[in-house]
Amino acid sequence: MFPLLLLLLARAHGLEEISYTPTLASPTLGGQTTASTFVLEQPRCVFKVQDSAVIWLVVAVPEAVANFNNSVGPGTPERAFQEFPTKAPAYMTLNTTLLNYPCPKPPGEITVLRVGSETNCSKDEMRPTCNGPLPGPGPYRVKFLALEGSEPVAQTAWSEPITLRTARQPGSIPAMGSGHSAGMIALTSILSILFAILLAGLVAMLVFWSSDACGGSSTFSKPEAVTVRRYNTHHVYDQPPARL
Amino acid sequence: MAKSDDGIRILQGLLVFGNVVIGMCGIALTAECIFFVSDPHGLYPLLEATENDDIYAAAWIGIFVGFALFALSILGIVGVIKSNRTLLLVYIILMLITYAFEMASCITAATHRDFLTPNLFLKQMLERYQKSEPDNNNDKWMTEGVTKTWDKLMLQNQCCGVRGPSDWQEYTSAFRITNNDADFPWPHNCCVMDARGSPVNLDGCKLGVPGYYNSNGCYDAISGPMNTHAWGVAWFGFAILCWTFCVLLGTMFYWSRTEY
Repeated sequence: MFPLLLLLLARAHGLEEISYTPTLASPTLGGQTTASTFVLEQPRCVFKVQDSAVIWLVVAVPEAVANFNNSVGPGTPERAFQEFPTKAPAYMTLNTTLLNYPCPKPPGEITVLRVGSETNCSKDEMRPTCNGPLPGPGPYRVKFLALEGSEPVAQTAWSEPITLRTARQPGSIPAMGSGHSAGMIALTSILSILFAILLAGLVAMLVFWSSDACGGSSTFSKPEAVTVRRYNTHHVYDQPPARL
Repeated sequence: MAKSDDGIRILQGLLVFGNVVIGMCGIALTAECIFFVSDPHGLYPLLEATENDDIYAAAWIGIFVGFALFALSILGIVGVIKSNRTLLLVYIILMLITYAFEMASCITAATHRDFLTPNLFLKQMLERYQKSEPDNNNDKWMTEGVTKTWDKLMLQNQCCGVRGPSDWQEYTSAFRITNNDADFPWPHNCCVMDARGSPVNLDGCKLGVPGYYNSNGCYDAISGPMNTHAWGVAWFGFAILCWTFCVLLGTMFYWSRTEY
């Protein structure tokens, strides 16, 4: 009887290991990872705990995963967001009950958790469970932990390391053009050739003009006709025809 | 003799026709360049901030060249009809000067269009959009121009960034200095707005849910009008110059065939 009671007690205070791994939300979301936030899928249809249990999200640096102590409660300095990651290698946030993760998930709805969205409490020591923006690009590992009072009752597996985006300096963008396009080269060369031909034509014209002015023959002069009229005063009725 | 007379008459007719076409094209060029200079898409502040607004200089030259072509074509028609050598010589020389200016305008427009790449606008947007500490008055003027232009662009064209909202995430920017990443992964103008000008769903916009934020880039909205501007000035000017080349050669030939 007594060993059976002990066994029952041990089962009641045991930690249920759920084989669910927290994952990032779908990549169709433009803000899946930014420089200081990331978006997780909600753990729907994962936990089978009482409605009174509180499900927390644990965010940790990968080094703290190996010997993570589930019994250290949220709100303590060891788990305060404001001390992360220097004095607190992990923090707990986004506490909620199972009522907010109803099962089954309605199709077509986006059920996500945005980690890092609360900016107004990130420096407020009175809010150690703040869901503040992450201080660096990571990587980070997360898991969900269900607490009944202060007793851990269920936990998921740790996620894969999540690395956030690192922004580059705009000075690294090469701003110089890629060179000249074919159209521009064609345009420039054709116009230059045409202009050169016109200038040559102008020079030829001026040379032609100056040689013309100095007495060269003009091309279109009508030949002067020389008419000779012979006047024969004595033989009036025998006049030779005038030539034009 | 009658045959060369006919030939001269035909040449005269062709030259008058050529000059009429030049006159009309000159007016069209002036009108087109006035349209471009008036900047109907409001993109001039972006060019001004690159300090490389020579396609506008090309359009300004185009206005004056177009008007000069119109005036000179009238001179040319009078000179051809009167067969006056002096008038035709003046016409040819002035036309060559106008030709040179128009050539400069075409080449400038074509060359400087090649400088306007997506990276240029990206760098300018990241360095100037909502920059809070301008260095001097000139910088302040350019910064305000860039900021207003981008805000208008993003609202009117439903776009974000040069290539997309990820531009704001991939690079640090002047915007990022005054707006933290968690509240503003990208400017709020990238969000889909309702009729009153506020985001339909700000959380959806910050998450990047398709439908609540603009996921396409603004580069098409910028390069479209600029390409039209630059190619309009460059290639229309090129066409006019080719036609003018033929008319000028014909006029030179006609000049050599007339007499004082």
